[in-house]
Amino acid sequence: MGLLGVYFRRTVTILRSEVLVLPSRIAVLVFIVALMALPLFTQDYYFLRVLILTSIFAIFAASWDLLSGFTGQMNFGHALFFGVAAYVTALLNLKLGLPPYFSIPLGAVGGVLTGLVVGIPCLRLKGSYLALTTLAFPIILTGLVFAIPDVTGGELGLAGLSRLTGSRVMDYYLTSGLMVILGFAMWKITDSKTGIILHAIREDELAVRTSGVNTTRYKLLAFCMSGFFAGVAGGLYAHFMRLAGPSGLEVGLSFQVIIWAVFGGMVTIYGPIAGVFILYPLMEVLRVALDSFPGLPEMRMFIFAALVLLTLLFMPEGLIPWVRDKVEIECPRCKVRNAFNRKRCRVCDAVLD
Amino acid sequence: MAQPFLEVSGLHKDFGGLTATNNVSFAMGRDEVLGLIGPNGAGKTTLVRLISGILRPDRGSIRFKGKNITRKKTWDIVNMGIASTFQNMRPFRRLPIIANVMVSCLSPRAMKRGEWVKKVEAKAMDALEFAGISDMALEKASTLSQGDLKRLEVARAVATEPELLLLDEPFGGLSPAETDLMAKSIARLHKGGRFGRLHSEGPAMIIIEHKLAQLMKIVDRIIVLDFGNIIADGTPEQIVENPEVIEAYLGEGEI
Ligand SMILES: Nc1ncnc2c1ncn2[C@@H]1O[C@H](COP(=O)(O)OP(=O)(O)O)[C@@H](O)[C@H]1O
Ligand SMILES: [Mg+2]
Repeated sequence: MGLLGVYFRRTVTILRSEVLVLPSRIAVLVFIVALMALPLFTQDYYFLRVLILTSIFAIFAASWDLLSGFTGQMNFGHALFFGVAAYVTALLNLKLGLPPYFSIPLGAVGGVLTGLVVGIPCLRLKGSYLALTTLAFPIILTGLVFAIPDVTGGELGLAGLSRLTGSRVMDYYLTSGLMVILGFAMWKITDSKTGIILHAIREDELAVRTSGVNTTRYKLLAFCMSGFFAGVAGGLYAHFMRLAGPSGLEVGLSFQVIIWAVFGGMVTIYGPIAGVFILYPLMEVLRVALDSFPGLPEMRMFIFAALVLLTLLFMPEGLIPWVRDKVEIECPRCKVRNAFNRKRCRVCDAVLD
Repeated sequence: MAQPFLEVSGLHKDFGGLTATNNVSFAMGRDEVLGLIGPNGAGKTTLVRLISGILRPDRGSIRFKGKNITRKKTWDIVNMGIASTFQNMRPFRRLPIIANVMVSCLSPRAMKRGEWVKKVEAKAMDALEFAGISDMALEKASTLSQGDLKRLEVARAVATEPELLLLDEPFGGLSPAETDLMAKSIARLHKGGRFGRLHSEGPAMIIIEHKLAQLMKIVDRIIVLDFGNIIADGTPEQIVENPEVIEAYLGEGEI
């Protein structure tokens, strides 16, 4: 026993005092355990493929929330970071022969630099001007991609990247593991001192400046961090699909990420992740289910849109914040969250009602 | 001759065809508390916004402790020691009150001067304590009353430990009792000293205010603006007897 026993007991203590006290934390724990245990029950090739893409898009959606949700810099062209990183990753892999564990981080660096390139002209923009400018960037780049097919592969893109890992199960563990780690990292950022400043910029940028804080620096930081996480997603996608093409820059992808994030619940990080985990597999199910009925596949987008709109009608803050407020209550005195069935606050013992 | 603490010369600002401040010049000393009065639309807010760097002047210059700060970034000016409050309060509504003040505490100036303070939260708490709203630290700013929002403005400004504080109508919308409390806090701040982990330099102040009776008690000197021009500059006693000032205020019924 000895040392192992000590570690075991400490883990159990942390679990009991920090995790099992709140429904939302239990849910996160169950989600992660289920995600990790899943290949023990099925290794179905197609099923894992859907979940791998889900994890990749979950990272992507959370990175949008970091920039647009938390910092309030509405990005309508988020696919830019994804697409650029995918191309950079593909070029590094195909032309220089770099393996994924080099090409993906370097692709993410491409995402960071793209964040700077977009962030600087957007510094003075707000509202619809910001939205339109960010929307324009990936469209311009798509034009560039078609203009230099020798480098970018033009319409067909760059194909034949090396595999992400040796097997589908390994691909699954890599992407879902990274999704958990990067999701946690983004959540930590929003929970930090930097996070407070990003929040404050969303609320009132001028008041942040008169508080003595260099808002230019923090806004660019938000663009770069968001570009980094979106870039990791883009690089993973390129290696997993073994392809980087203009579809990674499409307006459709930029809008998709907003729908996922708004559906799950903005300004939470975990909301957009949950949004992707619900909507992306659902879209696949709809596709397969409707495929066997002639004429129905076109209904897929309609059903999808109706579902999202209905949800937002009843849960304007998004799905996850709505659920969270049902299963947890905030202590009126110390503002700590408690399970809904508690009579007294778990920290300050105030009466909950 | 020694450099004045703050020297404003020929400061001019137009909004379209409207002149908000017209070649305004004045200087003030390190320990002065200066009242800035004038009818609505006289250009008072514009003048302090020019000093705090929120607005850029069309002409003229501002020197602070011998350095030219005209056209410097707002955050640089704050970090040099000039803090200000908004006439129409601008809290971070969806953030807890303590987080509102933590933003100022995270400014380079506050971080450097509070290096010995282990927790930013603790310093923010002391700023709230000073302003008298520490018992609401965890509430969202959107739940505050007008009076408490004014206090939050002051707490935010004080947290940067300024040497010059620009207060835009600190008594605006306050009840008589709240006004008294605010006046006391301002006087205490000007005396300087330590408030927990927060240090007051005993800042010089420019205070814009309509409640003249209250203002007279805390200022050494008053400048009167009218249509962007300085029409009087003197002690409170001189100002109330100045015929031009009385003329400018006619119809406002303030004096
Ligand atoms: N941002 C602005 N754009 C256009 N006009 C403005 C602006 N700010 C102030 N003004 C005008 O400048 C004049 C002075 O305003 P202000 O400095 O707010 O006066 P005060 O604070 O003395 O009431 C007013 O006529 C006001 O309408
Ligand atoms: Mg004003």
